[in-house]
Amino acid sequence: MGFFQKPFGYEPILTQDDVKQAVKKKKGPRATDWKSTLLRLWKIVDEQRALLIIVLLLVMVSSILALLGPYLIGKMIDTYVMHGELAGLGKGIRLLIGIYALLAVSLFLQNYWMIGIAQQTIYRLRTSVLAHFQRLPIAFFDRRQHGELMSRMTNDIEAVSSTLNSSFIQVFSSVLTLTGTVIIMLSLSPLLTILTMTIIPIMFWAMRWITRRTAPLFKEQQVALGALNGMIEETISGQRIVKAFSQEERMKEEFREKSLRLKRTGFWAQTYSGYIPKVMNFLNNMSFTIVAGIGGVLAFYGHVSIGVIVIFTEYARQFTRPLNDLANQFNTVLSAIAGAERVFALLDEQPEEEAAFAQKHKLLGQVCFQHVYFKYEQEAEAYTLKDVNFNVEPGQTVALVGATGAGKTTILQLIARFYEVAKGEVLFDGVNVQQIARQALRSQMAFVLQDPFLFEASVRENIRYGRLDASDEEIEEAAKRANAHDFIMKLKNGYDTVLAADGREISQGQKQLLSIARALIADPKILLLDEATSSIDTVTELAIQEALDTLMQGRTSFVIAHRLNTVHNADIVLVMHKGELVEAGPQQKLIESGGIYAQMLQSSSYHLDE
Amino acid sequence: MKEVFSYVKPYKWTAFIALCLMLLELFVELAQPLIMAKIIDDGVRAQNEGMILQWGAVLLALSFVAFLAGIVNSYFSSHTAQSFSYDLRNALFEKIQSFTLATYQKFSTASLITRLTNDVTQVQTVLFMSLRIMLRAPLAVVGSIVMAFVVNAKLALCLVIGAPIIFVFLIFMVAKGVSYFGLVQKRIDRLNRVLQENLQAIRLVKAYLRGAYEASRFDEVASRLKIDTVKALRTMEYIMPVLLFVMNMSLLAVLWFGTKQIAAGTTPLGDIVAIVNYAMRMTGSFSMFAFIIIFYARAKASAERMAEVLSIENEIELPSSSEKTPKGMSFGELAFDHVSFTYPGGDSPVLSDVSFQVKSGEKLAIMGATGAGKSTLLQLIPRFYDVTEGKIVVERKDAQKWDLQELREIIGYVPQQSLLFTGSIADNVRWGDAEAEMDAVLQATMQAQIHASVEDFPNGYETRVGQKGVNLSGGQKQRLSIARALLRKGHILMLDDSTSALDVKTEQALWEALSEEQATMLVVTQKIRTAKGADRILLIDAGKVVAYGTHEELLRTSALYKKIAISQQEVEE
Repeated sequence: MGFFQKPFGYEPILTQDDVKQAVKKKKGPRATDWKSTLLRLWKIVDEQRALLIIVLLLVMVSSILALLGPYLIGKMIDTYVMHGELAGLGKGIRLLIGIYALLAVSLFLQNYWMIGIAQQTIYRLRTSVLAHFQRLPIAFFDRRQHGELMSRMTNDIEAVSSTLNSSFIQVFSSVLTLTGTVIIMLSLSPLLTILTMTIIPIMFWAMRWITRRTAPLFKEQQVALGALNGMIEETISGQRIVKAFSQEERMKEEFREKSLRLKRTGFWAQTYSGYIPKVMNFLNNMSFTIVAGIGGVLAFYGHVSIGVIVIFTEYARQFTRPLNDLANQFNTVLSAIAGAERVFALLDEQPEEEAAFAQKHKLLGQVCFQHVYFKYEQEAEAYTLKDVNFNVEPGQTVALVGATGAGKTTILQLIARFYEVAKGEVLFDGVNVQQIARQALRSQMAFVLQDPFLFEASVRENIRYGRLDASDEEIEEAAKRANAHDFIMKLKNGYDTVLAADGREISQGQKQLLSIARALIADPKILLLDEATSSIDTVTELAIQEALDTLMQGRTSFVIAHRLNTVHNADIVLVMHKGELVEAGPQQKLIESGGIYAQMLQSSSYHLDE
Repeated sequence: MKEVFSYVKPYKWTAFIALCLMLLELFVELAQPLIMAKIIDDGVRAQNEGMILQWGAVLLALSFVAFLAGIVNSYFSSHTAQSFSYDLRNALFEKIQSFTLATYQKFSTASLITRLTNDVTQVQTVLFMSLRIMLRAPLAVVGSIVMAFVVNAKLALCLVIGAPIIFVFLIFMVAKGVSYFGLVQKRIDRLNRVLQENLQAIRLVKAYLRGAYEASRFDEVASRLKIDTVKALRTMEYIMPVLLFVMNMSLLAVLWFGTKQIAAGTTPLGDIVAIVNYAMRMTGSFSMFAFIIIFYARAKASAERMAEVLSIENEIELPSSSEKTPKGMSFGELAFDHVSFTYPGGDSPVLSDVSFQVKSGEKLAIMGATGAGKSTLLQLIPRFYDVTEGKIVVERKDAQKWDLQELREIIGYVPQQSLLFTGSIADNVRWGDAEAEMDAVLQATMQAQIHASVEDFPNGYETRVGQKGVNLSGGQKQRLSIARALLRKGHILMLDDSTSALDVKTEQALWEALSEEQATMLVVTQKIRTAKGADRILLIDAGKVVAYGTHEELLRTSALYKKIAISQQEVEE
């Protein structure tokens, strides 16, 4: 028996306790989880009710036709075949040809429509997850691996998809066939029927034993697959680093480990679900034996006719086949639930809350922080920002300076309301940011991020991202101002060059130029520049400085830059140190006061061209 | 398909056992109608109760045998399928790891992800099913036909009349299915890609309020996927009704001709009953058969996609050189000898005729305009790409002749975009040297000026970073990736504008700490100030060397350099 406990060296994954717990949980929240998961899935399917009803009708038709076939054949054997009556048989056969043709057509149509329904459902599920992603706070994405989330959209949804394609029809037709078969069987021989049905309790018990094991295993399998996906995505995206540090071997090792975990759970899930058809087959055989053996005895004593036994063995099969299908479907449905649960978990993530009183607000450009405290994680003890206070008037340019990790980027992210403050208030024109709809707020801002990101799309589309209705001329104009036009023209197809996913054709600095062009075209009220020119050489930087200066005119601008000369136009300098605002004021004043900023300037060799 | 399924080979014995067990099961099933006929003919008809019971007992015993065989089969086939897919996944991943960076261009990340998970799953499912039920269906069909022939050859002929038509039909459908499902997998690639972009650019999407736009972009790929999936599945949906119909017609033919024979008195009734029974079994197997065809087509499409990855031969990195010359001499020496380089698939050279030399322990600053080719130059040294012309000599040995692993081991590379992996800070720094003691890690982080910041984190060096990690500032990430490179203790240290997010003070401290480094340093920088501290400066413009020398020399000789210096107010105009 040792083999069954540790076959091929597979350590068992489920302990006896796990199985018992699955039993207990079934009574508790678990059962309702299943139900609610199915119910939610149903709600999405349900939107195609009309088509679904047609499919169900067709299933009914085909089930009846499928039952009618063997029934008529049995009858024909008894009445015509046995006596060699060709005339009567001919009529019967003509009828059957019609029935079978109809069966083929109805089978085709029901599947044809069901595929449409299922895929439409999957499509809706997918798009609603992505739409939901757009509403989730940034904090949600901070702690998740991209590949893991991607796995939910492909591998998990795939599990739901394959189930929906087949299970729905299967389950319904199985139930129908089962009912019909039982009725006919009863009419033929109640005794044999009852004998055939003795297998049901055994089946029920066996199914329970199996699904208690497969259900948790399926879930575990999807989790393992997600983890693997996460690792693949990270490794391939960071392949350059993997190669630079010759970590291929270690990555392979790590991959094998994660892959092994998937193999183990996969093995047990597959083995246990593999029990189902076997058990059903066994019960199938048993019922066959019962009917043939006991039926034979009955026929022997003349209680039933031979024709009845022949038909009955076929019906016994007809009876167990839908049961078999139901059992198998149950298992598939369980794997679909495992997938669906993970998808719904995403949909259940709390979206960025929009206060009921939030409204559109036309920004004038005044920004004010009042005693703002902030931390990225609620559990964290230390604040990333501590008691930050400042006030910026419309149109002013603000330079944020300070050591790395001082909280400069955090301030910009709070202005864009990527995160919510822990304490204190962020005010725009005296209105608390929470009273302004995010949509309205961000539509009046442009943010050039520290890491420029380009989509796998044409250069033109990448710039247009700043304002979707921008014309081609406007795009070129912005590119010219951002000093990007020349290099764009040197690309293979100019503005229509499609950039590769890793943006290999263009350098980091060029990416930044494109990001700036993107911001130039957006025409915002508030401009946030986070190290927007860090990878750009200083000569080019000077050239676009003018464009940036014009861009900043009439807009409130926040600029982070380490090359202090890039911020020399600032009206206000905010000096950050370890999350606190240590100095604030006009540049000249700060220099005169001889504080931290003055020291920073001195330590840097940059001189201000006063 | 062949290429992929060669991975079953190591498990041929377990697969074989699984198949045997399945055959045993099948045998029992096929024997059943025969025994039934016995019960009817020898028992009921012959009025022999003993025979009925005897054959009934045989039936029962056989059922048990079949059951046991089925359960054990479950273990063997799932072991085979899982081991197969495990090996296949690993092989794919290993292959991918050996790709050159240029090869990555051929497949997008998203597509590689799909191939490694979704495609593997498709093939694995088919293998598992074929070891258990799939082969059963065709075998059951064949077996039923054989048995029918044994019972009554003439009548059985009716059952196979439609076979050639079906055969041609199925071949046609499989070919169609493979191309359709191949398209479906491609659509999944696209979906994955849009998804990945969305996740990577989430801040950008939010900042520019492109949620709805992105949703509609995703909508497009999702609906394409839907349309193509529906098309593929619907096409395959023809199979089952057609098969069933042909089969049912054969059944009716059996009845018709059988009755004729009965009328003629040449055939006993038992024969017809048995053949009708076999025919109905075949019908039952046919819906499974249709299923198989669909899965097979799908798996074939996936297998082809995987074979595409596995069969790449020329574009992989050969980790060890065949030529075992002695290890490089002269610590950290480096020379570019008339190097030109064009990106694979690109049409204009990114670097042309670049020559320079760096002596052991020297520091070379590389400057140039945005897009001049600075990063590309660095990437040629660890041979991420191979030079198109000329050669790079590392420690007096042609880089082409270096063992790739050894070459990269002596290089500490800090990329322009700092990238950390999911794991702790210590884990990430240890990328430089997996076996490094904590002391060495600390030394590296101190040198990279990041130690104090790490200490400030509540979990210190165990803080999780990377995709699943905390928010590190740009400068913190840069310094961690510098620490990672320092831990390498390589002979050559390459920094690709890796201090751009550092404030002046931290940067100064960093350069001071780095001045103690023994390694030859190549520093891409925008700052004259940094360049000044270097032994030599290489100024490139549009892929060509325009000046090479010390700060003072360049100030005198190079107009461009002077222009840069002026832009930074380093010299008077």
